[in-house]
Amino acid sequence: MCKGVPKGDNNNGKGGIMQNMKVIMGNHALSYGAKLSRVEIISAYPITPQTQVVELLSEMVGSGELKAKFVNVESEHSALAVCISASLTGARAFTATSAQGLALMHELLHYAAGARTPIVMGVINRAMATPWSIWTDQNDSLSQRDTGWMQIYCESNQEVLDSVILGYKISERVMLPQMIVLEAFVLSHTSEPVEIPDQKIVDDFLPPYQNPYALTPSNPRAIGAVTSPDFYMEFRYKIQKAMDNAIEVILEEGKKFQEKFGRYWGLVDSFYAEDAEIVIVCAGAYSSTVKYAVKKAREEGKNIGVLRIRVFRPFPYEKIREYLLGKNVIVLDRNISFGAGGIFYQEIKSALFGKKKTKCAGYILGLGGRDITPSDIDGIVSDFLKRKKFDDIIFWGLKK
Amino acid sequence: MKFYFEEIKERGFEENLNSGILSCQGCGAPIAMRHVLRVLGKNTVFAVPACCWTIIDGNYPMHSLKVPLLHVAFETAAISAVGIKAGLEAKGFKDVNVVAWAGDGGTYDIGIQALSGAAERGDDIIYICYDNEAYMNTGIQRSGSTPYKAWTTTTPYTRPNPRPKKDIIQIMAAHRVPYIATISIAYLNDLIRKVEKAKNLKGKGLRFLLIYSPCPPGWRLPSSELTIKIARLAVQTNFFPLYEIEDGEKYTLNFIPDKKPLKEFIKLQGRFKHLKDEEIEEMEKDVQKNFERILNLHKLTHGNIENIPKGFYK
Amino acid sequence: MEEKIKFDKLEDYPEIPISTATTKHNKTGSWRNLKPVIKDKAAPCSKACPTNTLIPNYFNFFIDGNIKQAGKILTLHNPFPSITGRVCPAFCQTACNRRKFDERISIREIERVVGDLYLPYKIEQRPQTEIDKRVAIVGAGPAGLSCAFYLRKFGYKVIIFEKEEKAGGILRYGIPEYRLPKKILDKEIEILEEMGINFEYKKELGKDIDLYTLKKEFDAVFIGIGAHVEKKMMIEGEENFISGSEFLKDVSLGKREPPGKKVAVIGGGNVAMDVIRTLLRMGANPVLLYRRTENEMPALKEEIEKAKEDGIEFRFLILPVKARKENDKIVLTNIKMKLGEPDKSGRRRPIPIEGSEEEEVFDAVITAIGEESDRSCVPKEILGEDGWVYADKRTGATKIEGVFAGGDFVQGPSTVVEAFSWGRKSAEAIDRYLKGEEIVKVEVPEKTVSFMQIQMEYFERKNALRPKEIPPYERIKSLEIEENPGFTKEQSLEEALRCFSCGVCNFCGICYSYCPDAAILWKENKPEIDYDYCKGCGICAKECPRGIITMEKEE
Repeated sequence: MCKGVPKGDNNNGKGGIMQNMKVIMGNHALSYGAKLSRVEIISAYPITPQTQVVELLSEMVGSGELKAKFVNVESEHSALAVCISASLTGARAFTATSAQGLALMHELLHYAAGARTPIVMGVINRAMATPWSIWTDQNDSLSQRDTGWMQIYCESNQEVLDSVILGYKISERVMLPQMIVLEAFVLSHTSEPVEIPDQKIVDDFLPPYQNPYALTPSNPRAIGAVTSPDFYMEFRYKIQKAMDNAIEVILEEGKKFQEKFGRYWGLVDSFYAEDAEIVIVCAGAYSSTVKYAVKKAREEGKNIGVLRIRVFRPFPYEKIREYLLGKNVIVLDRNISFGAGGIFYQEIKSALFGKKKTKCAGYILGLGGRDITPSDIDGIVSDFLKRKKFDDIIFWGLKK
Repeated sequence: MKFYFEEIKERGFEENLNSGILSCQGCGAPIAMRHVLRVLGKNTVFAVPACCWTIIDGNYPMHSLKVPLLHVAFETAAISAVGIKAGLEAKGFKDVNVVAWAGDGGTYDIGIQALSGAAERGDDIIYICYDNEAYMNTGIQRSGSTPYKAWTTTTPYTRPNPRPKKDIIQIMAAHRVPYIATISIAYLNDLIRKVEKAKNLKGKGLRFLLIYSPCPPGWRLPSSELTIKIARLAVQTNFFPLYEIEDGEKYTLNFIPDKKPLKEFIKLQGRFKHLKDEEIEEMEKDVQKNFERILNLHKLTHGNIENIPKGFYK
Repeated sequence: MEEKIKFDKLEDYPEIPISTATTKHNKTGSWRNLKPVIKDKAAPCSKACPTNTLIPNYFNFFIDGNIKQAGKILTLHNPFPSITGRVCPAFCQTACNRRKFDERISIREIERVVGDLYLPYKIEQRPQTEIDKRVAIVGAGPAGLSCAFYLRKFGYKVIIFEKEEKAGGILRYGIPEYRLPKKILDKEIEILEEMGINFEYKKELGKDIDLYTLKKEFDAVFIGIGAHVEKKMMIEGEENFISGSEFLKDVSLGKREPPGKKVAVIGGGNVAMDVIRTLLRMGANPVLLYRRTENEMPALKEEIEKAKEDGIEFRFLILPVKARKENDKIVLTNIKMKLGEPDKSGRRRPIPIEGSEEEEVFDAVITAIGEESDRSCVPKEILGEDGWVYADKRTGATKIEGVFAGGDFVQGPSTVVEAFSWGRKSAEAIDRYLKGEEIVKVEVPEKTVSFMQIQMEYFERKNALRPKEIPPYERIKSLEIEENPGFTKEQSLEEALRCFSCGVCNFCGICYSYCPDAAILWKENKPEIDYDYCKGCGICAKECPRGIITMEKEE
């Protein structure tokens, strides 16, 4: 068991008691995370590649292993609606979705954040239609980045499971909802060995949810009435303050989690990024591929490292600057904001703007599940070192 | 005369609603709400989607009802109520009345998916639609509940509503929910009895109540004082029959009025002022056809129409 | 929960958009253009009643089971409801709004029951404080008794001077037993005595007492000696006729033998009906001779109907012009009449048909062609220019200060209820006079509620209850049989429930039930408008079943 916050955020979830190991897919990691968090309401609407999440949960509820109310809703919009209203009565709620489903929920994502409901939702990154695609990219979750939800991008199934438990702890402290994001098939359907923590330790770490504003008959108040310009802005300010606060809370709870479970999950995950001259910034499961390529490159003598962004919202400005200012930064985006470019790239660039001379470029790759290979990473690094001028939007891996 | 509405007297005169609400003068919706609250009492939580009651309950930071109310997204009345019920049960509150209180837009149109889902799943909520037959809150636009040939801002006199009113009752009956009832705010003993019945069917599934709720500005009534009169005429002309359906198949017609000609109901409303006599006659035929259908279904259930109150009803 | 609606600082806000106050801070009363006002109006029955009895008001208490309060309200205006409940022509019933819906209410029958039930409690009207002023009442008939009742209620010392041996006037000596049992009258007199009213019998005005002396010895005087002087027919042989009012007085004193078998009764008014129906019950074969037709008869329609039911023979368009006595019989010479143009009473003038005289023999002839007041016993100052007694209709004040008059004495033969009204108005005027106030009190009358203002939707059609009367062949057997047995208490309650309560709030709560703003409060079983929140929509005014709420302009 590691003690203390590891230097450079590079624990990467290693450690822990490592007993009760199970080889499970990413989706089931979400299920186990929800179960261990003793969620009380689960709403389920199926969408590939999320279905296994709720299928396993329904079995757990059916067998009595998990005491929760399982609602087979008739759309994702309704799925989130159930979670929001249940959460406002003080119940811990969970759901999971992907792509079109997440997009359908969009209205309610705003709603959930505005109502300050600490819902944790599994989001399996899947490419958006039109045309239909069931493979992964990050557009679905990233296009919801303005809604007030925290977003955690996971690299491993262990991280997924742990993030759910951590998610409730953090969300319930700051009163903001949270997405635990993992890639379709690459992580959701890939089995990895995962430690299923002991329920008693989880209970110790994560107490039952108490909503101070719960709408129960003894609290005859209204939530969400029409709010005039005289009042509305302060509530928005409070959401932002909660996001600010979340940075601290994430670090605090990450530390506590490590003390209990032996694994540390922070704002970012550094793979030799502290001293590297070239840092590749990425997020999600494909970061493992990037790390593999970078490991090889380091063996060949390149001073290169990886900074995996774990927490995208709240955006960890200080950590970004700490690791990237003054360096050569390659930002990889498995997504694109049409008309503007890679989303991580935009936000990283803005974090670094005007502070210190930093060379920064962004590459868009892997859309719609196009495979990202180590040779892609090598190619990108070469391209980066070769170029004199960088376009705002650079695609990698396109057929020419 | 004693207190006229005995059912009100029996349940007491405590109001579970504070005055100062933002409804228009003569609005039918709060009349319904007052008496629904009287029956359900303080152990109740409301889910209210976008509708007139979003405004009526008061702007932030005020709240009119003496029970909790959650303002929910337009489509989500039914499912939000389900979420509230589930959450309360998880927290140990077993007997709370959870009510989805929606307008016709949020029931017949945008909310019908959630309503259908909750009905089909047998969720333990009371769904009350107060029907003013258009999207009144946004300024009188046509909804699926708007009657045939009615004027609205999106079906103006130059092209009045070309489709008949959606029969939401038949839709709910098809879901075989335990209890459906139509209610008019003119007949308050009837309203209270039905809300009480819905309340007592706790745990049996979704109970659906349709409350006919006239809107003086939206229906272009000559004055705000006519709300109750119109709500009464709707029943007396058989335009809006009062009946109940249990388990989707057992029909009970509550009242056979001394039928008044439909014209009396129609001519009082500016939204129908363009109708010609032939058109009203056609409407009269449809109204009668619908009434006969319900009468026959009552006969099918009960064998005869003897026990239906006739002529006078509260 | 402490309410908070002003948020000046960030820390005033809760963390989430949850309400912190109720809508009570929002006084929607400011939205109004028109304002509803709950105010009782006049019911048409009350308006039509000469005493303006507050009929729906006492009905409501009666329905609630509060006999004392019902009686109290009833006797505010009508001193002796047990009497009018038996003999009144019931102008109220003719005006009853319910007649336009299904059938009029049997108001008189209900009044009778309430009056009778109230008798044991009526003594509570005895004054609490005494006023040291004395009023003399001359005449213990309806007008005088009424005036005495109210003056005594106010606290004055009252002495009634009565010519006869007993009190009652026409109530005792005119109206037959089968219409008004004397025991009811006796009970009322008894209560008056218990209240402290003194009666001095066998004191006739103009003989034993005179007006000027009374005026000196008392602080005020009321004269209600009625109209008992029988009009003369001015025909030959008239001296053989018996005066109708004399006849009735004899009967009231105990006479049971009819003056003959075949008796002619001349006249068409109420006295004629009383006379002829009494004769029948005494075993005679009376015949009515009237110079016009039934349409023109001044008697109450009800009385005419009953007389017809009794089987009495009516002969119309016939007038005796001469009479002579022959042995023990009277031979009348009668002439046939026909109807011409209307006279000043509006009725068609009877014109004799030349040459149609016929003689007929009768055992006796009783005239009842009208009565007049005896003006010989009062000073001429009290008379008006037309030679009749003058008194202000509103107050009973005569031209002599401190002297008041009313009833048949002033207005000629009329009804008991009108005499009661005179009595009360005079008592109230005397009260003001003795306090040094203006005698005339100008009162703005309330608007009357017409049928158009009644919301029919709240009433279920139901036929009226009518008293089950004793069939004619039974009732004519004896004078002592009260021909109208009236209602039982249950029947009165059932019938009273049909009352619309026009213009009088009976706490049905419909206004409260329908208010969209909960701005009508239901406090102590009464509606109260909360003007802080009332938006003036008008639903309460529209739906009030009895037209009590009106919308007025907001100032």
